Amino acid sequence: MEPNPGTLAGSISIRPDQEETGFESLQFREEIQRLIAVPPENASSFTALLELPATQAMELLHSPPSEEGDPAPLSGDSLHGISDDHISYISSFNGNPTFPSNKALVERAAKFSVFASGENSPETSSVPSNSSANLEKVKSEPAETDSNPNSSQPLVSDPTVESKTQRSAKRKEREKKGKGCTKKSKNETSQDAQKLPYVHVRARRGQATDSHSLAERARREKINARMKLLQELVPGCTKISGTALVLDEIINHVQSLQRQVEFLSMRLAAVNPRVDYNLEGLFATESGSLVDSNFPSMVAPLVCPEIPFNGSRQDYQQQWHFDALQQPLWGREEDSHTFITPDNSLLSYDSANSASLHSNQLKMEL
Amino acid sequence: MNPKRFSSSTRPSTTVKSRFACGFLRALWRINRQRRTSTSASSREICRRYLRVKVAADVSMASAVGSRRAWSRAILLRKLRNQGQNGTVRVRRMSNIPRMRKRNICGNKCTEEVAGTCQAEQLRKLVPGGEEMDMCNLLGETAHYIECLTTQVNVMRRIAEILST
Repeated sequence: MEPNPGTLAGSISIRPDQEETGFESLQFREEIQRLIAVPPENASSFTALLELPATQAMELLHSPPSEEGDPAPLSGDSLHGISDDHISYISSFNGNPTFPSNKALVERAAKFSVFASGENSPETSSVPSNSSANLEKVKSEPAETDSNPNSSQPLVSDPTVESKTQRSAKRKEREKKGKGCTKKSKNETSQDAQKLPYVHVRARRGQATDSHSLAERARREKINARMKLLQELVPGCTKISGTALVLDEIINHVQSLQRQVEFLSMRLAAVNPRVDYNLEGLFATESGSLVDSNFPSMVAPLVCPEIPFNGSRQDYQQQWHFDALQQPLWGREEDSHTFITPDNSLLSYDSANSASLHSNQLKMEL
Repeated sequence: MNPKRFSSSTRPSTTVKSRFACGFLRALWRINRQRRTSTSASSREICRRYLRVKVAADVSMASAVGSRRAWSRAILLRKLRNQGQNGTVRVRRMSNIPRMRKRNICGNKCTEEVAGTCQAEQLRKLVPGGEEMDMCNLLGETAHYIECLTTQVNVMRRIAEILST
């Protein structure tokens, strides 16, 4: 807590200039008092902040007069045993949301500056994480105590944002922000807070909280979720980062799939079946298993020029064979639909076997 | 392949895949039946047949999927419209196409505009029925469309292999 004296001095010097914080400071006081009424964990962290026992902290907080922070009366109250650091810090805290750039202090102060709606831990955990988000912005500036004037500026926006968010009550949005910020809140301790009737929404830094932007944000998140799904579908897309490249990949994939369909349909059109279809009876009964039974009868008459089928005699034989095949097929299909028959080990290609091989293959496929 | 919409265990699987295969085979059979009458193997015949097979593949896929999805509805509508040109039009016009969503269509243009042409437009051209969808639905439809296309390709490839051996 070394930099405190300097930072506090800086904050005090600035404080009088910021009169607009009057309203917020009032709110601050209310919230602080509410916080104090909260279970001791809050108080403990607050007092840990001040390095004071709880009772003295209570005194401290209740003692400041109603007018806005003026360090002199406070110190005039002579909270004995409290160093000037703490006094000035408290006064500055009470009167003014300018926090020192010390990370721990700012975090905790920001914690209390949230109108803890006594919300549940997501809220409070999101708050410190939000404040840590702010911290990261703060820290980007030189982390010297001299930077306090600079650091105070962005933090002042917090109360104004908070006062706005106080009015909006969107639980869903809060949860979303909680989710989005939980990854930053690993080091924070979540406070238990009582539940209050209305829900506060804490906006992320730099984001507005009016309904339009909230809807926009929801929409964007939906779109991002769908993009993730698509990335998983398209092979090789998970490594790509960036919406544009992923979309390019998706478009290419769809185009290639459509081209494959066209090519396959061309191939199917060019296939030259020597047809002797016997499918009317099969088409009559409608079920998924029809696919299996159709194939044998379709496959058998179809002739590849390489395979020496000579004449229709064999076709008839095959049809007869398939009629016989169909009975056991249908019988078997009552049992289950998973026919991983071991018949794919059949490698012989004489007429009857080839047909059964095809039918088994197709059953496996489907 | 994992079956989609597996209905009941008593009947054999009524997955999209099996429904598509069934319908596609039937269409193929019908096309080939016509083929038997005309024995010419000219390239024009083959071309015509190819187009018919392609349409049959798309339509059987769309009907296997049902009218749950916008892209399948678009394909079926297109087919009905083409049929209607020949005969009576029996299309029930979808009057509640959300035109108001058009304002969202160009919402994401800035994020996707690459190399001149908007990627969203490209995607819309590719996916049937994608012209009037907003980005969010378009992505969902694309996902389902890709799944079904993959199924279609696999089944057709298998059929082609079997028919050509």
